[in-house]
Amino acid sequence: MMLVRTLGARLAPLLACLGLLGIWQAAALVLNTDSFPPAMEAIRAIPSILGDKESLINILASLRRMAVGFSLAVAVSIPLGLMMGRSRAVASFFNPLLMVTYPVPKAALMPIIMLWLGVGEIAKILVIFLGVSLPVIYHSFQGAKAVEEKMLWSGAAMGLSAAQRMIRIVLPAALPEILTGCRTGLVLALITMVTSEMIARQSGAGNILFNALDMGQYDTVYAMIIIIGAMGIGLDAMFEKLRSRLVRWSEPGFEIPLSFA
Amino acid sequence: MIEIDRVSQVFRTSGRQDHLALSEISLTIEDGAFVSILGPSGCGKSTLLYIVGGFVNPTQGVAKMKGKAIAGPGPDRGPVFQEFALFPWKSVLGNVMYGPRQQGMKHAEAEAQSRRLIEMVGLKGFEHFYPKELSGGMKQRVALARTLAYHPAVLLMDEPFGALDAHTRTRLQNDLLNIWERDRKTVLFVTHSVDEAVFLSDKVVVMTRSPGRIKAIVDINLPRPRRRAELLLDPRYQKYVVDIERMIDDTSEDGLRP
Repeated sequence: MMLVRTLGARLAPLLACLGLLGIWQAAALVLNTDSFPPAMEAIRAIPSILGDKESLINILASLRRMAVGFSLAVAVSIPLGLMMGRSRAVASFFNPLLMVTYPVPKAALMPIIMLWLGVGEIAKILVIFLGVSLPVIYHSFQGAKAVEEKMLWSGAAMGLSAAQRMIRIVLPAALPEILTGCRTGLVLALITMVTSEMIARQSGAGNILFNALDMGQYDTVYAMIIIIGAMGIGLDAMFEKLRSRLVRWSEPGFEIPLSFA
Repeated sequence: MIEIDRVSQVFRTSGRQDHLALSEISLTIEDGAFVSILGPSGCGKSTLLYIVGGFVNPTQGVAKMKGKAIAGPGPDRGPVFQEFALFPWKSVLGNVMYGPRQQGMKHAEAEAQSRRLIEMVGLKGFEHFYPKELSGGMKQRVALARTLAYHPAVLLMDEPFGALDAHTRTRLQNDLLNIWERDRKTVLFVTHSVDEAVFLSDKVVVMTRSPGRIKAIVDINLPRPRRRAELLLDPRYQKYVVDIERMIDDTSEDGLRP
């Protein structure tokens, strides 16, 4: 009974994917239009994309940009968010700035950024950086604000300086919240990566996708969507594994994991 | 010795006028004494403790420790809070070791000492549990061990048993007394329970309702070591409790009249 249940829990995401592909396949066969190929055709196109050296270099270039943009954003946003959470002055300085930039789609800034920085790496990394920053700053801010005053007092009584309290109490205490922000940021990094490559077409996974669309190669378009989706799922699952390992101390006893990990 | 000299505390409240929490408090606490500060809620008794801890600066007056004005928190004054304030990302052992490690004690030595303390507060076998896995009473035991671990000269206890059920509370009071009677640290203990204050203390400072003033200082002349069962039957204990309760009633009445 236990075995059946755990097996069921393990297979559930897989079954969901297969179900989705089944619906896709059936719908495509019924509709029968060029722009909506059956699932099997799209899946069949995947090996040829991944086997092609040029495409592979493009996809890896995308991933590298994403990694650089994400890392830089996290490195800047966590300290900023934590300082905002603990200092009213810092918070009231940066808050209006964030409120203004929050609802702006970061990809919409792409034309301006391209105007300044060209269509190369730096422009795309900057867009990813902007996309990732806001959720990470916001969650770090909330996490730091919620740290119990008495916990900091306890640290102060042990002789921790203000800087030590920030790094050794506020940071770990806010870590669950920070990592929630990072997880959202990771998915946003993927989204801004693809959209930036759609606007500044030069290389990358987004470039392959939209070039194929222009040329009417619909099986490649859908295959790329699957590949990008799989990258998202894979990255998110990896991150979720890392996250739950880092903050096991804060997890409630039972939970339905909201991921494929 | 702790000297509190004409300390007043004013809090800025949003919108309404400033709130006077403490008014001209003067109090001397001898080394090795167990002193309780007793009063109705909102009388500023915790604020007084925070001032001695150096967590709050008094608006007026000065608090001194060993003749020197208190300028901030320090390891000579160890707080134990009602909210426990444990580090949730650290195990029981990690929490207790935190202070000694911060003071530069070697890892092995800090661990050995912390294990002894954990055993002393009755949590042997729970060294590797995380705070979220412990009950309230156990958390407060960890908090006490964590504070004792860095050897503060003064324990500052802020309604430490206020969030616990009656049974757990009694057990922790007994255990605290046993531990205290061994090394007789100075203890400043904030509570709103008259029984608790009389049972534990050498001296009970009774405060008035807001603004907090000292209404009376009662010396508790009951023999030590104190045993709960004997004490509850002792007419002297009963008289202290009744007398102090009457004082508290007088001070809280004004707040209840329509």
